[in-house]
Amino acid sequence: MKLLEYKAKELFDKYGIRTPAGIVIDKLDKTNHALESREDSDLEGLSQKLENLDYPVVVKAQVQVGGRGKAGGVRFADTPEEARNICIQLLHSNLKGFIVKELLIVKKVSGIKEWYVSITLDRGNKVPMIIFSSHGGVDIEETAITDPDKIVKIGIDPFIGIEDHIVHYIIDKSDIGMAYFDEMNDLLKKLYRVFIESDCLLAEINPLIVTEDHQIIAADGKVDIDDSALFRQQDILAFRDKLQEDPLILDARKFRLLYIPINPEGDIAVMSNGSGMIMSCIDLITKKSMSVGAALDLGGGCTADRIYEGIRILLSNPRIKTLFISIFGGITRCDEVANGVSQAVKHLDSSKTIVIRIEGTNKEEGLKIIEGIQGNIISVDSIREGVKVLYDLQISNNSSVS
Amino acid sequence: MSILIDQNTRLIVQGITGREGTFHTEQMLAYGTNVVAGVTPGRSGQNVFGVPVYNTVKEAVEETNANATVLFVPAKYTAQGVMEAMQAGLKLILTISEHVPVQDMMKIHHFARKYQCRVIGPNSFGIISPGKAKAGFMAHKIFTPGSVAVMSRSATNCYETVFMMTNKGIGQSTCIGNGGDMIPGSSFVDLLPLLEEDVDTKVIVLIGEIGGSEEELAAEYIKQHVTKPVITLIAGKNAPKDTSMGHAGAIISPDGTGSAEIKEQRMQEAGALIAESTQHIVELLEEIL
Repeated sequence: MKLLEYKAKELFDKYGIRTPAGIVIDKLDKTNHALESREDSDLEGLSQKLENLDYPVVVKAQVQVGGRGKAGGVRFADTPEEARNICIQLLHSNLKGFIVKELLIVKKVSGIKEWYVSITLDRGNKVPMIIFSSHGGVDIEETAITDPDKIVKIGIDPFIGIEDHIVHYIIDKSDIGMAYFDEMNDLLKKLYRVFIESDCLLAEINPLIVTEDHQIIAADGKVDIDDSALFRQQDILAFRDKLQEDPLILDARKFRLLYIPINPEGDIAVMSNGSGMIMSCIDLITKKSMSVGAALDLGGGCTADRIYEGIRILLSNPRIKTLFISIFGGITRCDEVANGVSQAVKHLDSSKTIVIRIEGTNKEEGLKIIEGIQGNIISVDSIREGVKVLYDLQISNNSSVS
Repeated sequence: MSILIDQNTRLIVQGITGREGTFHTEQMLAYGTNVVAGVTPGRSGQNVFGVPVYNTVKEAVEETNANATVLFVPAKYTAQGVMEAMQAGLKLILTISEHVPVQDMMKIHHFARKYQCRVIGPNSFGIISPGKAKAGFMAHKIFTPGSVAVMSRSATNCYETVFMMTNKGIGQSTCIGNGGDMIPGSSFVDLLPLLEEDVDTKVIVLIGEIGGSEEELAAEYIKQHVTKPVITLIAGKNAPKDTSMGHAGAIISPDGTGSAEIKEQRMQEAGALIAESTQHIVELLEEIL
């Protein structure tokens, strides 16, 4: 689960990592109601908050989109009046499809240098790894490609943690100078605690700003938490509702189903009882120049009522014209699948078609149920045959349109 | 022969009194697996289908001389259960649960080296040596004894392949579910030496997917040390970046690391045959055998 920037900042603050002073204006805040009503008397709350800030400030829209700055989601203000106008413009506006519900307003930090630091999981060596660069900022991804020597990487033994020699190595390799040892030592050890204690997959600071008096400040943060560990990260789990996820993902989650958006232009959906088969089906469909819009993983042992919900959710996406269901039943029983499909077909839009392939546990019972279903449903005997039927449907759809 | 488990395996089921544990103990016994003990804390003295239950793994090992264990316990207790099994001296530990925290697996991975034991999983269907024994939850009906080894990060892709193999009369020596998580207890590269040595294995099928670098490491090893034919399928060629495809480990990093293209390329350079689909794996097997 990827945290919004202000939540990452909160986490950093909790561990004593230096971040710019600031405030969050959010939907539930009194000031927010003020903005909705646009009554001057109510706006005083916001104005007061803004008066107390140290200027200039940066107003940052809290949405998880790439290129937030370029889309106008990061703005600078020299006075409370300017900040107030930006707040009114940004809050509730639509930024690349996301509604801005929270704003983070922080003191604009000016520095002499911008560094990059992150701790991530090194999957190859199965250890946390520090990545550091003295060439941080927006161009870090380009630096990684054009100038890989400017990026220092070092693995951490999870049973030992960060010792002084790790900090020395990073300082030497990046050539930032031993004068920064105390600052770097303090920061890295705190960031490592964030990484371990919050079950992070990534804890990133970019840019890490070096001020004129040689302090280092985390000016922006990205934190990704291991979903499997959320049971022991209750504070973070509670925050998940604030993320603006695809409503179909949320709908599916209610039924313990996993909805995966694939290609926004795609008109085919894939449903299966395992991640591997979903990927295999998408590969074969794409190879035939067709496009998958979304997939749904049922997991093992799915029952008819949940299968019904899965189909409903996938087909509620208006772009999806055809649903390919491919099941290899071990714990999942084919008759349960067929019963779920049978129910779903009753509510099926006449412009949509289901192509189904079942194999494994209780296949015969399942096939009997499918044979009795009236409606737009085609039963096939293998994935390859299913893909061929999808292809033929596509051809006939295209010719009927033209 | 076969690898890791066979008729000489003396298996413990941790979590034997749970719903899944009980159901699959019956299935494993029906397949002929020698399940010698079960473990559930606080349930010592009971039995499940005639299998005695102990409070701890250590007692189960002392009483029954068990040499392997399979865990049917919830994800949040998996690390604890695996650590207990390691300290009890077991050298083969299989974990089934999905959603074990990454940092738990990180610790398990390193402890396994200290205790010199092999952990398979998590998020795995287990291991089966057809006709001999199985430890896990795979539907054993589709497997048949033979000379092709299958390792897979995905259960469904493995079943699909094995089902078609069996229909064509191509049997399996051992099938292993490496699991779909970010840090598996054992990677392809950890198991390849065993398969290269196994006299009953003639061909190795390796079913990988996007994310991580296990296939790249396997390719490196194959190039240097494997003389047997290897057929590989990499699933997820058309998955979007930075999106987990259901398996926690099946995710291409924003910078492109973990993509199917690189994995296929490395495998091809190592001399492996690249399959386009599960059905294509079986067609390639028919050509080789």
